[in-house]
Amino acid sequence: MRIHVISRYVGLVLLFNAIFLFLSFLVSVFNSDAAVYPLLYSFLITFLFGIFPLIFVPKTDFISKEEGFFIVILSWLIICFFGTLPFILWGGEFTFTNAWFESVSGYTTTGSSILTNIEVLPKGMLFWRSATHFIGGVGIIVFAMVVLPNLGHARFVLLRSELSPLAGSNFKFQTRKVLHILLYVYGGLTLAETICLHIFGMDLFDALLHSFATIATGGFSTKNLSIAFYDSPAIETVIIIFMILSGMHFGLLFATITGLSFNIFKSSVAKYYVFAMLAGIILVAANLYINGYYSLPDSIRFSAFQVISLGTSTGFANADSANWTGFARMILIFFTLQCACAGSTSGGIKVDRIIIFIKSIKNQVLMLRHPRGVFTVKIDNNLVEEDIIRNALVFIVLYVLIVFLSALVLAGFGVDSMTALSASAATMGNVGPGFGEVSSMANFSTIPNAGKWLLTANMLLGRLEIYGFISLFMLKRWR
Amino acid sequence: MGIRLKILAGFIILAIMLLIAGLISIHELMNIGNYVQKLLDDNYKSIEATGTMLDALEKEDSGILLLLMGKWEEGRKVIKEGDDLFKKGFLSAENNITIHGENKYIEKIGVDYDIYKKTWERPIVGTDKEGNIDWYYNKSRMEFLQVKKSVKQLLGKNQETMYKTGSELKNRAQRAVMPGIVAIIGAVVFTALFSYFINHYFAIPVVQITKGIEEYNSTGKEFTMTSETKDEMGRLINSIKNLLQRLTYK
Repeated sequence: MRIHVISRYVGLVLLFNAIFLFLSFLVSVFNSDAAVYPLLYSFLITFLFGIFPLIFVPKTDFISKEEGFFIVILSWLIICFFGTLPFILWGGEFTFTNAWFESVSGYTTTGSSILTNIEVLPKGMLFWRSATHFIGGVGIIVFAMVVLPNLGHARFVLLRSELSPLAGSNFKFQTRKVLHILLYVYGGLTLAETICLHIFGMDLFDALLHSFATIATGGFSTKNLSIAFYDSPAIETVIIIFMILSGMHFGLLFATITGLSFNIFKSSVAKYYVFAMLAGIILVAANLYINGYYSLPDSIRFSAFQVISLGTSTGFANADSANWTGFARMILIFFTLQCACAGSTSGGIKVDRIIIFIKSIKNQVLMLRHPRGVFTVKIDNNLVEEDIIRNALVFIVLYVLIVFLSALVLAGFGVDSMTALSASAATMGNVGPGFGEVSSMANFSTIPNAGKWLLTANMLLGRLEIYGFISLFMLKRWR
Repeated sequence: MGIRLKILAGFIILAIMLLIAGLISIHELMNIGNYVQKLLDDNYKSIEATGTMLDALEKEDSGILLLLMGKWEEGRKVIKEGDDLFKKGFLSAENNITIHGENKYIEKIGVDYDIYKKTWERPIVGTDKEGNIDWYYNKSRMEFLQVKKSVKQLLGKNQETMYKTGSELKNRAQRAVMPGIVAIIGAVVFTALFSYFINHYFAIPVVQITKGIEEYNSTGKEFTMTSETKDEMGRLINSIKNLLQRLTYK
């Protein structure tokens, strides 16, 4: 393993971060706010650490599989660490643990926050906070575009750890073209949402930051009450549309926009994704209306927003779902676990794996009836390979096990069971808010420090789809 | 980039990191000084003025009670002292409006005090008010409490701002200290990285070149070392390789 080569690519990632720190600094200068020096110093430190390896280490023609893995995982950990700099230099509610939590939550596009009062943060700091979502989402793509050409065989391994193995199997394009597609879709969606939100009355700064959070399926808002602050069905509708789009496979979105034959209207994954959420909305809305929580239009409005927000792993809120009925909360927890499609920036188990899981169960039942039969799993008439099925099933088991274990540990720290379970599921799925003390209108400030570290580990595990993160601790196996 | 520039870049980066941290810390420390001054100028003076006004009101209330007891001379003397003291405090507060909306609080004190003043400006001794406890409780004391409440509202406003400034002071102190801590940790990590690069790109190649030449001299083993870089070290390795190859062919 060539540490110097790894340091060069990690340096590139730091330079990408430095660009956004500089933009945040400019926002701060433009608004004459108090975050100028914390952002300036963070930019300088990040830039200097980023540029230094590039001075010493020459460009390499080949990166091994192990080095590729290490670059990805180390980059995640190091950008999360450098992401804490503006927060710890700013102070206020940001202790090192809180700054780490906020940074990891931002980069992994989780959107959970420890802040009890977001609105006191200066604009430069708010910009940086939301920029971590943008970097976490689009950064992966840009980074892969820079690193991939040097990767040789390792590029596929890297893609699997960064973009979900399921996404790779769905793409019908060359790797580099795939990354360009992702970049166009990502940028296009961000721009379109910013314009739409601005048209419907959100100021341009807030519109941009909420777009960063929506397209990255993050969830950081500039308001304490999240989207409920605006109390605007028009804004909520715009965000709902873009949350749904951001939860879909970006390649499929591109195919749909460019008029290719295989598009979201023909994809069974996309169909399941939309219909599952539709069913969730109807069930929650009916439950809320029958139990007298809201009028029928409000029941539909709130349930649609909350189900889609959690079902796409975004985490925005227009109502406090922690006070809803147990039935409604259970449906929301299901969507917190399932989340959206592979090939998007969303987290969670992902719809694709759920479909594979359901079809595998069906095959198992058929096997009982016809023990000598050969049953295969097909999605959109494409045969799903055995290793992908096995990988998906093991992933689901591991995922649920980790959620349960971390909930158990959290409960051991004195956190109540609902908060512990929902916080574990919400951080593992990179969703954001849970229920109980960490509900959509509350925050994670009450979780003990050790619990916060555990939850950040969950966020990283969820973002790197478990295997990538675990691989870091199994280096001996690589040799 | 040449070896000299590379090494120089390392030291320059280290120097920038420490220098900027130092400058930011100095700037923030100076800000702390300004904040302390602001704390004293903006809030402490107003808080002191409200204290004076409250003392004055208590004196005036005592004076009214003396008048109720028929002690005209002593009562009027105490009230006069209270009135002078109140005016002093009021003037001080009026000349130290530093918080947004503070003037409204002061205006209200002025209005309430004028109403209260009318209570004791008119004669008490020798009228039906003398010894009239009901009048005292229902009229005089109620108006006294109203002025006191207004003064306390001004006090509360200043205390609240003082707390906010104090909290900001705490943040400023952290902002003055943190760049130093970050710079120290950063410098340690950077030095480790710098040492690694120096070792990898300069020290190890020098050792390998020496070993390679020694092996060539003693056993005639071919010099196979290659260089990752195109700097002086890379050129040196290539030159030695060419030289030894030429010697071998001779």
